[in-house]
This record gives sequence, structure tokens and C-alpha cells, in this order.
Amino acid sequence: MNDEIEVTEEAQPLVLQKLQDKFADALLASSVIRNGVSVVVNKDNSYALLEYLKTDLAYSYLVDVTAVDNSKLESELMQYDYARFMVVYQLYTFEGETSRIRVKVPVHEKDLKVPTVTLLWKGANWLERETYDMFGIEFEGHPDLCRILMPDDFEGHPLRKDYPLRGRGERESFNFEKQNA
Amino acid sequence: MGLDFGSSTEQTDGNIITTTIDKVVNWGRKNSLWPMPFGTACCAIEMMATLASKFDLSRFGSEAIRFSPRQSDLLIVSGRISIKMMPVLKRIYDQMPEPKWVISMGACASCGGVFDTYTLIQGVDQFLPVDVYIPGCPPRPEDLIDAVMQVQRQITKGELPKGSEVAHNE
Repeated sequence: MNDEIEVTEEAQPLVLQKLQDKFADALLASSVIRNGVSVVVNKDNSYALLEYLKTDLAYSYLVDVTAVDNSKLESELMQYDYARFMVVYQLYTFEGETSRIRVKVPVHEKDLKVPTVTLLWKGANWLERETYDMFGIEFEGHPDLCRILMPDDFEGHPLRKDYPLRGRGERESFNFEKQNA
Repeated sequence: MGLDFGSSTEQTDGNIITTTIDKVVNWGRKNSLWPMPFGTACCAIEMMATLASKFDLSRFGSEAIRFSPRQSDLLIVSGRISIKMMPVLKRIYDQMPEPKWVISMGACASCGGVFDTYTLIQGVDQFLPVDVYIPGCPPRPEDLIDAVMQVQRQITKGELPKGSEVAHNE
């Protein structure tokens, strides 16, 4: 039985081909795993690429916007010019064969600004606020970029790798008057 | 209840009971504790099971769950409380009329449980006067019933809730 198994090269999904044709210079990396496409795009072209996916390729559903702090992962850091953060967009389409695509955007700590995608997907509003709250990444053009999970007077961004798990004493030094005001 | 059958004459024999007003009031209180549920996690599921027919908290007079703090006298904190949720819970407790009791249900409410993180209060007793703690993650319905009975025992003894002691000391 073992002899009959044929190892075939996975055909490149059409979506990836289109992206490679249109954004050849902007794509830093791409991979396909089980028909799921993942691309890394530079920050300057990220909005154009996402807009293309939304309007021309019918990726109408923005599943998630989040970020990854790679500051303790040397191999990832080296790969993308020591960009500390990676903003991740998960997209889904109800049409076509490649239903899921992941777009990753490397972001340097010196310039933590990424264009907002709230104009493309309204659902990005809270997701971007969460990413801002947890990682401190600013989404330029966002209608209301403020904290969504942590209290308004909270300092720091807790999902960054350099933030201590038990906090910096917030849970012992809470202030009722300040929060109720 | 410390009931005392009054001096017996022919007309009153067995028909009159003398007691103190405190004892009657406490008897009424203990058998009609109205809980205010504050369920933020899986402990709340166990609390629902406690109230449902199988465990039936109404056997102890506490089935009248009130979602308004102004109509309840037993706060059951079942679940983890974050720094952001804390002012809400404190406000609910402040709105409850005296006398009021607090049950801290489960590991998270009592000490933070497994969530030893930046955002969780490590025990609601840091800002609420807790009368009865329930261990467990989550505790079984029997544990919650036991806690309610423990509150009932405190009431029968005429003990003041922790909250009013705090108020008096201040």
C-alpha cells in the first residue's frame, strides 16, 4: 500500500498567484499549508493589499486582527529586519477555493503605526482597539482608538513580552474614587 | 428557637408562645435569604444548578434570586473579578440594604485561583467583607448549600454580618 502513495507538489492557490503578480515587490514571504495562504507584506503596501483582497477577491469577512510580539524569538526577528511586532489579519471568503488567508505586517518598535482597516471592514474597530490596548500598536485613522479591555487609567500594554505576568502592582493599588469618577 | 411556652392557664395552654423579637426576626431572615447572584465564570453554572430542581435551594428559602441589589440581602460572588469589574461589584454591594451577607464562591473569588495575573483581584475580601468562603474550582452545589446554611447558622446565633461590623468600627 505504501508504494501507491504519491507525493505531489501542492498546486499554488490562485489567490496567491494573483497577489504575487500584483504585489511582487511588497511581499516579503508567503506560504501555503493545507490550502490556507499566509503572506507577509511590508507596511507601506499592507493597506493596498488588504483593500485588493476585500474588493476584488471578495474576502468580505475579517475574522481577527491581532499582533505578535517577537522580541524573544530571535529567528523571527532576523527574518524581518528586527521588526519587533507582527500585526496579523485573518481573512475569510465565502466564495472561491482558498477560503482563509492570513496577512502579516512587520512593525518596528520605533514606528508603531499601521493604517486602520475600519474603512474596509467595520468590524475592525474593536479588534484594532484590542490590539492597541494589548500591544500599543497605533492604527492611524481609527475613529476611536482607546483602550477596550483594560481600565482607562491603566499604564503599559500587558501582552508585550516584557510586561510582568503579575503586573506592576495594579491589582494591589487599585483606587475606587478614580475609577468611579 | 428558644421558644418558651407561657404560663399555663386553662385557656392559654399550648396556644401562646413567648420569645424575643430578635429571635423571631432572625428566624424570618434566615429562612428567606434572597441572593443577589454575581456570576462571572463557571462557578455561576454551579450556582444555577444549585437553584434548579435537582439541588433545589428553595428548600432553604433562598430560591428568590433578585437581579436588583436593592431587593436582596445575600451577595454570592461566583467567579473571577478583574480590576475593571471591581467598582461594579463594590457598587452593587453598596446598594444592598442592611443587613447583608457575602458568600465568596470558589477559588477565583476567594484568592484569585489559578489566575495569578496582572488583571485579577486576588480575592474579593480585599474590598468586600466576606462572611463565608467556599473552596473548590468550581465548588459542587452541595458546597454552596452548605455555605447558605452556614450563613443561616450565623443569623440564628444573632451574629452581625462582617459588613456591619466594618461599618460599626468605622
